[in-house]
Amino acid sequence: MKKQKIIAIYGKGGIGKSSTASNMAAACAEIGYKVMIIGCDPKSDSSITLLGGRRIPTILDLLREGLDVREEDVVFEGYAGVKCVEAGGPEPGIGCAGRGIIVAVQKLKSISSDLLKEQDLIIYDVPGDIVCGGFVAPIRKGFVNEAYVLTSGEYMPMYAANNICKGFSKIGMPLSGVICNSRNASREEELVSKFAEEIGSKLMAFIPKSQTVQDCERDGFSVMEKAPDSDIAEVYRKLGKAIMENEERVLPKPLDDERLRELTR
Amino acid sequence: MAEKEISIIHPRPSSIVAALYTLRDLDVDVAILHGPPGCSFKHARLLEEDGIHVVTTGLDENGFVFGGHDKLVALINKSIELFNPRLIGVVGTCASMIIGEEMHEAVLEANPDIPVIEVEVHAGYHNNTKGVLFALESALDAGIIDRKEFERQEHLLKKATEVEKRAGAASKEYLAPSRGDVKYTVAKRIFELLQEGKRGLVIMNAKKETGYMFADITLAVNEAAKALGKEANIVNMANVDDSLGLPRVRQHAENIMKGFKEHGVEIREIIGGMDEYPIAGELVSELIKEKYPDYDFAVITGVPHALPMECLRGMELISVTNGPRQVLPLKEMGHEHVVVEIDLHPKTLGVSKIVNSELGDTLREIIKENL
Ligand SMILES: Nc1ncnc2c1ncn2[C@@H]1O[C@H](COP(=O)(O)OP(=O)(O)OP(=O)(O)O)[C@@H](O)[C@H]1O
Ligand SMILES: [Mg+2]
Repeated sequence: MKKQKIIAIYGKGGIGKSSTASNMAAACAEIGYKVMIIGCDPKSDSSITLLGGRRIPTILDLLREGLDVREEDVVFEGYAGVKCVEAGGPEPGIGCAGRGIIVAVQKLKSISSDLLKEQDLIIYDVPGDIVCGGFVAPIRKGFVNEAYVLTSGEYMPMYAANNICKGFSKIGMPLSGVICNSRNASREEELVSKFAEEIGSKLMAFIPKSQTVQDCERDGFSVMEKAPDSDIAEVYRKLGKAIMENEERVLPKPLDDERLRELTR
Repeated sequence: MAEKEISIIHPRPSSIVAALYTLRDLDVDVAILHGPPGCSFKHARLLEEDGIHVVTTGLDENGFVFGGHDKLVALINKSIELFNPRLIGVVGTCASMIIGEEMHEAVLEANPDIPVIEVEVHAGYHNNTKGVLFALESALDAGIIDRKEFERQEHLLKKATEVEKRAGAASKEYLAPSRGDVKYTVAKRIFELLQEGKRGLVIMNAKKETGYMFADITLAVNEAAKALGKEANIVNMANVDDSLGLPRVRQHAENIMKGFKEHGVEIREIIGGMDEYPIAGELVSELIKEKYPDYDFAVITGVPHALPMECLRGMELISVTNGPRQVLPLKEMGHEHVVVEIDLHPKTLGVSKIVNSELGDTLREIIKENL
């Protein structure tokens, strides 16, 4: 049986999980991997840049209508053949997005089990921090086999990353690596690399802050599609390769508050 | 700091159900459960027998994810159309409360021209009296009850919770259910005691409508005494003051009192209203101390564990409960005979007259056999 990578990227809200996930998905698809991205955010923004700025119907949209959901209704092919799915969810402040993720992910599993099995890489793109059980459902329900944490070198994102690691160690989910998405904080690469090491993991990549990412996003595209020759595109390619080759899995040892302060000082 | 709650593992009624019964006592015509289908089904069904309509928004998986605001608005409107109510209650459930449903917004949107009692409750409270309290608070806000009645009820609830923790279903982590002693044996013992000329107290300390059946035991013991010519040897006490409590509860007291009168049974001591079972013990203690200190036995029905043991010492105690989990605590307190009227509650809903009890009927058979 082919070894499949099913990954999830966690990290502080707005830190760059979705843009990293979609660019990396595109990078891996370009070199021939079968890739699927499953957006688990009620705002359904994981796959927009792979679909030329287009929004697709979400699983929960259809379930809400009481429709019989079929694979072709919710799985859309994006740039370089990346399969795009959005779980969807309620508007902010209503209902329960966490439960929504559970329901959508289970539905997808029941209607698309063959397609899911065919993939080399499946990326679950989850929003913000882990705030309730639903947000770790992809992990807890045993769908995900590798978890990554994305952070910048700023204190709060690292604090959030550390907190997420606490959650992982509590539920016995190993960590496969830390990704640094730069926000131009001082000594960023060094700090995040040290953090990764101290929790028992390693730094997978340092992604510089780049205007190109935002320019492409504004037009509704990934960097890979719109600016394939840029330096940042090369960074995503490298990250994609590193993840495809990564075998590491360690139960993270989160830092205590004092140590985290010390480290970031 | 509050005392640490023991974790009780046997099934107990939930605060949602407690809220529903309170709405019934407040005389709502319709209770709307905002939650999944089947939530509180058994009690909802029983309440229908008691004359109120119970309906549910039937939240499904979609409702959990997207909320059930529209469904609730629609159901409020539909209930008004179907039942033409004067007063309705809306009750939360675990599911709707966890996802943060704002029932008040739905009520505002439906904008009915009758009062609505909104009860934001779920089942996650150790003391199910919370459900009663929340319902009463909303009733106060809606102007259905006054502050004085609210405070009275609040006090009674506190006492009821204390009784349950001291000697009731909340007294132990686990209480095995029991059917209690054999009714024939106990009925025979009552008959014997009367025959021997022993003096006895017949105390009904019943919770609200359950009195419709517990009162029958008072009737039967009086019939036995009469048949034996020992009427003078027994004294009846009952919590049937019809000037206390919510309207429906007063009505029960009036109905039961009427039943006693029809059977020529004199209630020598009225020990409170039908919602005062948690506090009636104080009065009973005083009465026994002052007037009946040397009685030989007592038949205590309803909530026998609310009566303090000190005042009952020296008497042979026969207690009748409707809680299978009450047998063990009562035996531990020192009640010699404990009888369970199983399934009493369903039989006392939707009635306005005293209904037959098994112990009462058994005693009646024994009277027949012996005369
Ligand atoms: N390396 C980068 N350089 C410049 N801008 C970036 C970079 N990475 C992400 N961004 C920008 O940061 C913003 C937030 O990114 P994104 O939506 O991917 O965050 P997220 O972690 O997925 O947020 P959420 O927690 O809401 O899901 C986007 O506008 C994105 O273009
Ligand atoms: Mg995102």
